[in-house]
Amino acid sequence: MKGTELVLKALVDNGVTYVFGYTGGAIMPIFDEMEKQKVFTFVMSRHEQGAAFMAQGISRASLSTAKPMVGVCMATSGPGAMNLVTGIADALMDSVPILAITGQVASTVIATDAFQESDVVGVMMPLTKQCYMPLSVEEIEETIHEAFYISKTGRGGPVVIDIPKDIQIQTTAQTYQFNAAKYEPDLHGFKYSPEPDSTLIKKAVAMINKSECPIILCGHGVVASNAGRNLKAFAEKAHVPIGFTLHGLSAIPVDHPLSLGMVGMHGSVEANRALQHTDLMISFGMRFDDRVTGDLKQFGVDVDVIHVEIDPSEINKNVKTSIAINADANRVLKLLAKDPEINTKPRRLWFEQLDVYRGEIFEEVQKEIEKGVGQEGQLLMKTIVKRLSDVTEGKDLIVSDVGQHQMILARFYNFQTTNSWFNSGGAGTMGCALPMSVGVKLARPEERVWAVCGDGGFQMNIQELGSIMEHEIDVKILLLNNGYLGMVRQWQTMFYSGRFAGTPLKNPNFGAIAGAYSIPYQRVETPDQIMAALETAAAHQGAYMVEFLCDPSEIVLPMVPAGGSIADMIVSLNQE
Amino acid sequence: MTTITSRKRRAIMVYVADRPGVLNKISMLIRRKMYNVESITACAARQSGYSRISLTLHEDNNDNLQQVILQIEKMTEVISARELDINESFWREVALVKFEASQIQFEQFNKKYSFETLDQQNHGVHIVQLAGISKMIDDFLLDLGDDKIIEVARSGFTALDR
Ligand SMILES: Cc1ncc(C[n+]2csc(CCOP(=O)(O)OP(=O)(O)O)c2C)c(N)n1
Ligand SMILES: [Mg+2]
Repeated sequence: MKGTELVLKALVDNGVTYVFGYTGGAIMPIFDEMEKQKVFTFVMSRHEQGAAFMAQGISRASLSTAKPMVGVCMATSGPGAMNLVTGIADALMDSVPILAITGQVASTVIATDAFQESDVVGVMMPLTKQCYMPLSVEEIEETIHEAFYISKTGRGGPVVIDIPKDIQIQTTAQTYQFNAAKYEPDLHGFKYSPEPDSTLIKKAVAMINKSECPIILCGHGVVASNAGRNLKAFAEKAHVPIGFTLHGLSAIPVDHPLSLGMVGMHGSVEANRALQHTDLMISFGMRFDDRVTGDLKQFGVDVDVIHVEIDPSEINKNVKTSIAINADANRVLKLLAKDPEINTKPRRLWFEQLDVYRGEIFEEVQKEIEKGVGQEGQLLMKTIVKRLSDVTEGKDLIVSDVGQHQMILARFYNFQTTNSWFNSGGAGTMGCALPMSVGVKLARPEERVWAVCGDGGFQMNIQELGSIMEHEIDVKILLLNNGYLGMVRQWQTMFYSGRFAGTPLKNPNFGAIAGAYSIPYQRVETPDQIMAALETAAAHQGAYMVEFLCDPSEIVLPMVPAGGSIADMIVSLNQE
Repeated sequence: MTTITSRKRRAIMVYVADRPGVLNKISMLIRRKMYNVESITACAARQSGYSRISLTLHEDNNDNLQQVILQIEKMTEVISARELDINESFWREVALVKFEASQIQFEQFNKKYSFETLDQQNHGVHIVQLAGISKMIDDFLLDLGDDKIIEVARSGFTALDR
C-alpha cells in the first residue's frame, strides 16, 4: 500500500468523517488520494488557521455526544503549517483534542532550506501534546493511531504529524501488517490515571461535611468528561453552590438555584464574593488560571482546597491543595454523588449571605438591560444577549469570539444545554468563532448554532464566510459592532486615562460583505428591533447575519483588575 | 531566574523512551520555566530503547522544583522523573584540562590530584583527565590558575543514587 492510502485508512479507522484543510505542494499526494477515495467530507478553509479552528469545533462540540470525534485538519509544508500554529496553540491551552497532518518536504532534502520547508516539529513541540515525523511508510498507520489515542486520552490536546512528501508516496511491501482493531498503544511513559484513590474520596467527604461555606468550582474538565449530571447530583446532595470557569459554563443549566454563574476577572458578584469568603473550594477539572484567581498571593489564603484534576502537573501549580485527587472528574463526581456519607447541610447563613451578594448589583443591571442603550445612545451588548437567551430559551449552541461580547455572553446567556458554549479561553484567540462555528455545526447538525463576533475578531477570519457559503453551513452570525476593539478600549478607559491607542476601527460595509457571500443580512440599531431580528435569524434556513450597532462606552462589569485580588473587584463604575 | 549560584543545586533524573527530540523537549521546558540548565547529560539506559538523563539546575523552593518534575513527567516519552537527593547520591564529573606547566609543577599537581595523563608531546603542555566530584575539579583549576590553563572541557554531572 501507498503512504497516502495508509493515512486515509488510519483516519477512517478512527472514525473521521470531516477533514478541514488547505492544499499545497507537500500535501498534494494526500489530497489526491482523498479526491480518489472520497471517504471524507472535505471542507476547504480559506486560511489554514480556519481549518484548525474548524477541527476544534468538531472536537469541542462532539465531546458530549454519543460519538465524540477528534477534529482533523491538514495543511501543506512551510507557510501552510505555520498558518496552523495559532489554532494549534489555542487547542493546547484549551485542552482540545485535534489532529493536524502537515505535508513536509521530502526527507532527502529536509534541513537544506528547501522550498517551503520549515521545521514544523521544532515549532510545534512546545505547542502540542505530541508531534511526529514518520520516516518510513510503515510507521504511518501506527503513528496516526497513537496520535488519536494521545490527543483524546486524559486531558485533551493537539497532536501534529508532519509527513515528508516522499514518505507519503512510498509503498510498503506485502509483509506489512497493522491490525487497527487490536491496536494498543505502546506508550510506557503516557500517564493516565482516571481512577480516584478511595481513601482520598473519604477524606474529601469528611472535609465537605465539615465545611460551613463551601463552593464548587466547575471547570472545563467537567464538560470534557461529561460529568454535568453527576455534578448537579453531588451539588444538590451536599448543598453546595457552584461557580463556573469560562469553559465550565454549560456543564449544567446556569440558572440552577445553586449556580452562582462565572467566577473570575469578569465573573458575577456573587461568584467572586463567594470565593472571597469561602472556607472550602471543591474544584473539578480546572487549573486555577490567573483569570480565575487574580493575585495568587491573596487567593484562597487559609482556605481548604480539594482539587480534582486529570493532569497531575496542574495540581499544586498555582494553588496549594489540601486534598489532591488526580483522577477523571466524572468518576470522582459519580462516587461523590452517591456517597451515603455526604451530609445535606442547610448552611443557612452561607446561603443567606450568597443571596445578599446576588442582590448587590442585580437591579442596576436589570435597569440597564431594560433601557437597552448606553451613554452614546447605541445598543448594549447585555441587552442583545438577554434577548438572544429569550429567543433560544438558552438551548442553542453559542460560539463566541474574544472580547467584551464574549464576557457578556458568559455573564448573561442562559445556558441550558450541556456543552453548548464554545470559545477560546486559555489563549483568547480573536477570530476563532467564525471557523469554530463551522465545526460545531457539522458536529451537531440538529442544533441551532450562533456565532457571536465583535467587529474586530470577525475581520480576523472573515474569509471563512467563503467556507460557510460553499458548504451551506447554517450558522447565525451575530456581529456586535461597537466600532472598537472593545475589550482593549475598556482597559484604556479604566487604566490608560482613556487614550484609545490602536482600538478605533474604520469598518467596511458589513451588509455588502454578507451580500457578497450570499448571506442574508439585517442591521439592528434600536432596542425594539432586537427581538424581531433574532427571531428572523433563528427561523431562517441557512446562514444569516445580523449586525448590531453597539455602544462603545459599555464596560464589562464586574471586573477584577489584572493582577489585583478578587477583593479589588470593581462592581460599578460609579462606586466611589 | 537566571542562575544565581547561591540557590541550591538540585539534580533531576529522568528515564525516557528513545524517541527523537526528547532531550530537546526537556531543555525547552526548562528554558520556558526560566532556569539555566547547569548541566544535562544523557546516556543509554541498561534496558534498550530507553535513555537516562541527569540534569542540574538551581532552585531553593521545593514546590517549584516539583512543578518542573511534574511537567517533565507529563511528556509522553518520559517514563519517570524524580529528584536525586544530594545526600543520598553520587555526583561525578569528568574534566579534560590542557595546561602549561614546568615538569616540577606538573608532578606536584599530579601528586595532589592524581589525574591521568593523556598527552605530553608538546613541550611543557599537558593534557590530563580528572574524574571525581566537581569540587575537586574546581580546586584543581583554581590551583592551576588562569595563567596556566589553555583549555578545559567538562562533561557535566552524572549521578547515581544509593
Ligand atoms: C489574535 C488576537 N489579537 C489581539 C488580541 C487582544 N484582544 C483581546 S480582546 C480584543 C478586542 C476585541 O475586539 P472586538 O472583536 O471588536 O470585540 P469587542 O471587545 O469589541 O466585543 C483584543 C484586541 C487577542 N485576544 N487576540
Ligand atoms: Mg468591537
